[in-house]
Amino acid sequence: MSVSHSPPLVLVADDDPDILDLVRYRLERSGYAVATASDGAEAVRLAGELGPALAVVDVMMPSLNGFEVTRRLREAPETARIPVILLTAKAQEADVQQGFDAGADDYIRKPFSPRELSARVQAVLGRR
Amino acid sequence: MLEALGIAALTLAALSAGFLIALVARRGALAREERRRSELEARLRPLALALVAGDDVELPELEADERAMLAEAIGRLSRRVTGDARRRVAAYFAGTTPFDAELRALRDRRAWRRATAAYRLGDMACGDATPALLDALADSDADVRAAAARSLGRLGAGEASGALVEALVASSVPRAIAFRAILDVGPDALRDVRRLAADPDPALRAAAVELLGWLGDASDDALLIDAVDDPSAEVRARAAAALGRLASADGAEALTRALDDRVYFVRLHAARALGHVGERDAVPRLLRQAREDRFESARAAADAVARVDPDALLEAAASSDAGPHLHEAADLLRV
Amino acid sequence: MTALHDVALVVATVTLVYFTALNLVYLAFTGVAWRSLNRHLRARGHAPDEEVFSSPVTPPVSVLVPAYDEEPTIVDSVHSLLALRYPEHEVIVVNDGSRDRTLERLRDAFDLVPVRKALRVVVPTAPIRGVYVSRRHRHLWVVDKENGGKADALNAGVNASRYPYVLAIDADAILEEDSLLRVVRPVVAEPDVVVATGGIVRIANGCRVDRGRVVDVRLPKSRLATLQVLEYFRAFLIGRVGWSRMNALLIVSGAFGLFRRSLVEEVGGYSSDTVGEDIELVVRLHRHLRERDEPYRIEFVPDPVCWTEAPETFRQLSRQRRRWHRGLGETLWRHRRLAANGRYGALGTAAVPYFLFFEFLGPLVEVLGLPAILVWWLLGDLSGVFVAAFLVVAMLLGVVLSLAALTLEEHSFRRHRDGRDVVRLIGFSVVENVGYRQIVSFWRFLAFFDLVRRRGDWGEMRRKGFTTVAEAPLPR
Repeated sequence: MSVSHSPPLVLVADDDPDILDLVRYRLERSGYAVATASDGAEAVRLAGELGPALAVVDVMMPSLNGFEVTRRLREAPETARIPVILLTAKAQEADVQQGFDAGADDYIRKPFSPRELSARVQAVLGRR
Repeated sequence: MLEALGIAALTLAALSAGFLIALVARRGALAREERRRSELEARLRPLALALVAGDDVELPELEADERAMLAEAIGRLSRRVTGDARRRVAAYFAGTTPFDAELRALRDRRAWRRATAAYRLGDMACGDATPALLDALADSDADVRAAAARSLGRLGAGEASGALVEALVASSVPRAIAFRAILDVGPDALRDVRRLAADPDPALRAAAVELLGWLGDASDDALLIDAVDDPSAEVRARAAAALGRLASADGAEALTRALDDRVYFVRLHAARALGHVGERDAVPRLLRQAREDRFESARAAADAVARVDPDALLEAAASSDAGPHLHEAADLLRV
Repeated sequence: MTALHDVALVVATVTLVYFTALNLVYLAFTGVAWRSLNRHLRARGHAPDEEVFSSPVTPPVSVLVPAYDEEPTIVDSVHSLLALRYPEHEVIVVNDGSRDRTLERLRDAFDLVPVRKALRVVVPTAPIRGVYVSRRHRHLWVVDKENGGKADALNAGVNASRYPYVLAIDADAILEEDSLLRVVRPVVAEPDVVVATGGIVRIANGCRVDRGRVVDVRLPKSRLATLQVLEYFRAFLIGRVGWSRMNALLIVSGAFGLFRRSLVEEVGGYSSDTVGEDIELVVRLHRHLRERDEPYRIEFVPDPVCWTEAPETFRQLSRQRRRWHRGLGETLWRHRRLAANGRYGALGTAAVPYFLFFEFLGPLVEVLGLPAILVWWLLGDLSGVFVAAFLVVAMLLGVVLSLAALTLEEHSFRRHRDGRDVVRLIGFSVVENVGYRQIVSFWRFLAFFDLVRRRGDWGEMRRKGFTTVAEAPLPR
């Protein structure tokens, strides 16, 4: 029996529209559906509403940063299992640790490679 | 007198008219320009995205102004990406007219044009620009130097690291920009930075040590631990901060010793670093600092204990001589 | 008769000379501003705010918000402050003994809990009743204290701040998302030298504001407010750019100013015994650093950073301008030793004398000089043609300056999208010079009497000091 799959949904949150466009372009070409949010609050809300398979979240967003978003996703039962990949320009050990402490699954430094991001998304989703 | 006033009145009236004309003309020109640009951009952005985000794109024949717009769109996107995407951008720009134009503009007699050129060359990601940018690093104009430094960083030009470190130390480029550029160059700059950590000039050592906190890795622990005993307080403080940023467990002992430093900001950075390192053995010493030291270093110590051993903090805060910083840290823990 | 004649002659001549000198200075400033703005605009092409945002050496900032009876707007205001684009910042609201429900609103909206916060006591303030942190936004603090005035509230904020830089703003000021990034740039470029910065303040009346951000820039319907829009263009685009280049910037707006915290503490914080606490602090900072012969700069960032509500009634406007002028006078008097004092560089030889003779004494000359000229004419010593020509020239000078400011604005920021707004502003450039400026001068003239009567209404003025925009005086 053939089962039709709708493409997995990836939620991308970043206040930078260029990044949103780049990530969306790459992920859509790689076969994912993409929803975007331009701030942390919107990201948490959309995650709850849409139930994405994975979230790519920028750390440095105004109002609610990426760490906070991750924490909130982990706290709510309906979003707790969504894997999170954090995107950030801050990238030293202490900051990486903070990311994992908040519950993130992976960490990508900015400036980033869209292809590599796509590969990581695939890897993380593959692990689940 | 009356004539003078008359002339003045006429001049002023003419000036007014001049401004009015300038206002109207400029507004019209700017509006047209903007419309044209947004139309162009809407058309060319998908192309730029495709090229940068990783597809092999068939580039259509473009007019000169379209090419310029595309170059700009790609340039902006290139700031966000690295790795294969940057290489694709570089491949696109290599040998093209926009690239050559900007290279030439590096020798323009107007400083602002040189600065813009230096900046754009960084976006174009073509390593061929490195020698010209290195020259621009010594330009007489501050903005040009800053843009050149930033672009050299973006190009990841390892051969520029020495010059960038020099620029940082000589303050010929704003500190933030030189710093960022060196970080962008990344591991290739490490050799120069490590060498600098042994320089006779304390300002250079301090800069090097701070950079190692961002660029370095575990192999730099030994160097940084030594630097915590440096004769210069600035170096000691930054070495402590660097160890914290690297979350270096090996540095814990040196950091704990640094809590006894004469200089308060060394104690401050040592306390903060211990919070990141997570050294439980240092907690009693940190608690003492939180009770007795100056405002800033006491608070740093209290914050560190909150990270490392929250239970110990709550316990210490309950005693009568706890002091304001322990109280604050404890209250924040319970929030 | 002859005595009156002679007096009128003298006064009229003085007025003429004074007036010419002032406007020549202004035209010179316009030229400086033009070049400086051009340079700044070009620099934006190769040094965008993005780089400040992601730089590891961008310093964290404590945003201080003194609040008195701000119940209707405080929650929106704080939300927009928390949402500022900046790598690391905290927001400290200082509730200065509000009589309304400001504190309750904050408590409800942000889930505040009391914390025994350690406070510095470098600068003494009125008693603190409590300090709260928001459970939801760990970077939001509220200091609740007994009433002490804006300066006192700011000092309490300084005592509570965690970070090395403080941004002092008005509670009802509306910021742009990138305001903090813009105003911090000079500091990031030269952290050892730049100790304070300020930016361009715009008028929010008539603009559409959504969740604490200006989303559509329109001119106010109120004529009085529109006149002020023009005034602000002139003051900011022309006056401040020039003074900043000479490192003699006296005015960092009370509505939006960034300072190095340790320095503010060093000079003893804001002063509570003047209505011009913002300008007084800046002058004191200049003085302190020059007396210590330390290289420093206080810079003006020619980028729009802040929008404020302008008074729309004559009554409110007159109170505001009288207050500003008093503040200027008090500051100049307190720091009178700077005047013509070479030891203080351009501050002493240029800025202070300028503000004293042109800004401060200006209204005196204008209010007394004009009638004197008319008297001269009535006495028959002067032809009506001459007086008329003089008045026309005076008016044209004002028009030219306003148009110059407007052109600068159009050339650089172009915030007013609608062409009709620009036409309206052009019209007002003319109208402004036949009545408005004169009225404002008259109010400032009245401030002289306020200064003399100081002791009388002092307390009340201070407590009410929040209700009008605490901006520092504008050049004419």
